[in-house]
Amino acid sequence: MNFNFKHEWIETNIGLMAVLTMLAISVGGLVEIAPLFFIDKTIEKVEGVRPYTPLEQRGRDIYVREGCYTCHSQMIRPFRDEKLRYGHYSLAAESQYDHPFQWGSKRTGPDLARVGAKYSNEWHVQHLVAPRSMVPESVMPNYPWLLSTKLDISDVAGRMKALRKVGVPYSLTQADYDANVAKFGETVAKQLHIPDAQKNLVEQANFGNYDGDRSGISEMDALVAYLQVLGTMVDFSKHADDAFVDNR
Amino acid sequence: MAVTTYSGAEQYNFDIVKKFSVMALVWAVVGMFVGVYIASELAWPFLNFDSPYFSFGRFRPVHTSAVIFGFGGSALFATSYYVVQRTCQTRLISDGMASFTFWGWQTVIVLAALSYVSGYSQGREYAEMEWPIDILIEVVWVTYLILFVGTIMRRKQPHIYVANWFYLSFILATALLHTFNNLSMPVDLFSMKSYSLFSGTQDAMTQWWYGHNAVGFFLTAAFLGMMYYFVPKQAGRPIYSYRLSIVHFWALSFMYMWVGGHHLHWTALPDWTSSLAAAFSILLLMPSWGGMINGIMTLSGAWDKLRTDPVMRFMIVALSFYGMSTFEGPMMSLKEVNALSHYTDWTVGHVHSGALGWVAMISFGSLYHMMPKLWDTKIYSQKLVEWHFWLATIGIVLYIVAMWISGITQGLMWRAFDEFGNLQYSFAESVAAMMPFYAMRAIGGMFFLSGASLMAFNMFMTIRQGKRESAALEAKLAAKMAHA
Amino acid sequence: MEWLMWFSKPENTKPLALIIFFVTFIGIVIYVYGSKKRGQKLESYRDIPFLDDQEGTKDKQ
Repeated sequence: MNFNFKHEWIETNIGLMAVLTMLAISVGGLVEIAPLFFIDKTIEKVEGVRPYTPLEQRGRDIYVREGCYTCHSQMIRPFRDEKLRYGHYSLAAESQYDHPFQWGSKRTGPDLARVGAKYSNEWHVQHLVAPRSMVPESVMPNYPWLLSTKLDISDVAGRMKALRKVGVPYSLTQADYDANVAKFGETVAKQLHIPDAQKNLVEQANFGNYDGDRSGISEMDALVAYLQVLGTMVDFSKHADDAFVDNR
Repeated sequence: MAVTTYSGAEQYNFDIVKKFSVMALVWAVVGMFVGVYIASELAWPFLNFDSPYFSFGRFRPVHTSAVIFGFGGSALFATSYYVVQRTCQTRLISDGMASFTFWGWQTVIVLAALSYVSGYSQGREYAEMEWPIDILIEVVWVTYLILFVGTIMRRKQPHIYVANWFYLSFILATALLHTFNNLSMPVDLFSMKSYSLFSGTQDAMTQWWYGHNAVGFFLTAAFLGMMYYFVPKQAGRPIYSYRLSIVHFWALSFMYMWVGGHHLHWTALPDWTSSLAAAFSILLLMPSWGGMINGIMTLSGAWDKLRTDPVMRFMIVALSFYGMSTFEGPMMSLKEVNALSHYTDWTVGHVHSGALGWVAMISFGSLYHMMPKLWDTKIYSQKLVEWHFWLATIGIVLYIVAMWISGITQGLMWRAFDEFGNLQYSFAESVAAMMPFYAMRAIGGMFFLSGASLMAFNMFMTIRQGKRESAALEAKLAAKMAHA
Repeated sequence: MEWLMWFSKPENTKPLALIIFFVTFIGIVIYVYGSKKRGQKLESYRDIPFLDDQEGTKDKQ
């Protein structure tokens, strides 16, 4: 070291120290996060995954609001026991429209990534209102207010617009809509059209009758609609068992 | 004694340090109380009372925010302002800015807690605050950075002491993490609701880059700064090795930022990312233990202080727990171990051996050292300090043992097969098996909480005693002046 | 511009990064522990926390 470096230079110069510290702490994040946006293989191309309908998205908002992620994961790992208990391991593509992701970190209750279509709507409603009436061992809180609270649908279009800005392909214009028809088919594309958001939401809630009460749309309607779609978008019977191994 | 001390009031801004110290204790008691409450909810679910405001999901972020940002944050503000002034031998550059960080930060904690219970959450662990609160945090934090760096620039001592490097690195890293993890799109200008800029896999990686470095820099680097000042001061001996601290600092700052991905083993995150994270997690053991050794060896040759000085004992036990959890962490980041431990209570136990054992214990020790000095008196009751120490230690042991047993039991039950290759246990059976350990954990938490409450009382009495002493002294001086 | 492509391949950049970081680390260690004189100078900064009060310096050995 003939240029005679002294650590004292750093120790006596707060600017130099701040710059070098910034440098030291930036590398890790840059190397590990930035490539995830550029490497194509990060998210596999798979048919069926679509953005949530207005009702499902409102249900998801309630899932986030109540902090369900503090006890339930939505990320099935590629193990034999998890396959038996929950189903096929989760794909990155399945949460590509999830803002924010809700993979979770704790299973005080079971994983919910593929809970959709496993139980009836009636089961979910009863279980959310009084979990221990369905599963005596459960430690889940009761959520009676979901049934008694009317769903606020006034800003559903606004919510979808915000999601559109962060990259979810909800459509505002005819051109957007046509692109969605090409990508997801007409039935889905209609649901993703923001100008029809409220109408679509009401229709789905009335048709699905998730909370068993047709007199109004409750928060329960939305949450159950969301739970019932979880993990059902990809049809795994169409894919070979090791079809997604390369993306791991 | 009181007559001969440096005139702190003029030379240093101790007022801000006092405020933050008091709030650290207040948030400790509040946050730990909420912690005990939600732990009890898991053991006895009726405690959710069918109320949205007390339900576990909304209440848990109140606990994490109150203890991490309320207690931990206030303790860090207090000690960093104290340490930077005393090691630079200069006053904070602006009393107004200091005061703004105090009121701003306390507002953040109160708003965060109120917003969670009323149903506003970003759904990101340890970053649940919605966007308006995030912006307030950003403003407070930049003010903090300017105040801290500005004070260092005005120092009278040519060298910047190592404790300040750690505080600096914590302030910079927190700014970086907070900014990128909270990028989000509000529904509109008058709506609290927002959606994160990233989604799915990228969002997960960003969140755990934040999540683990909140541990790495907020709960580790900064508290190491505390350690580098208060352990030598309390022991009355300089730090074991300054050279080790140089290596320790650069290695820790560099390596921590890589390890977040180990929270996402076996998930849809690409394998290369989580493997890289695991490799760095294991390497991280070295700087972590370097720091622990540096702290503990400071006492070498004066080990008797462990017997005679309960405050010293807080610090050394903190370092021991630091060593233990920084060994446990890399072990849990091994993919095979993680397959068992992830999603179970083991993780919760690990976090608490770090948070209670290291963060809380080193803060208690430092506050016990600092607060009597601030009010220019002695600790009101050494006996209560002793009691606090034992309550806290027993509490931690109960807590982490309960979580080890329940975590490993859960992990094993989930993956158990019967002779026909079917799953041996339903999920509900694994929940039922947890009940005794959830109760034991809640009791451990109660021990720890009662210790913290004793401390709050002890410090309240210490402050009162300090105020009385200085009033008496002033009266005496006034009387003398009258005679003269 | 062709040489830039060399960096885009992980099998090249991984060992390169490893070497850079490792050399830096070894450099720091050699710098810190390599010379006795420098070591003594660095160790003298240990006393900074004790410089601003009278009570502290007394019971320091």
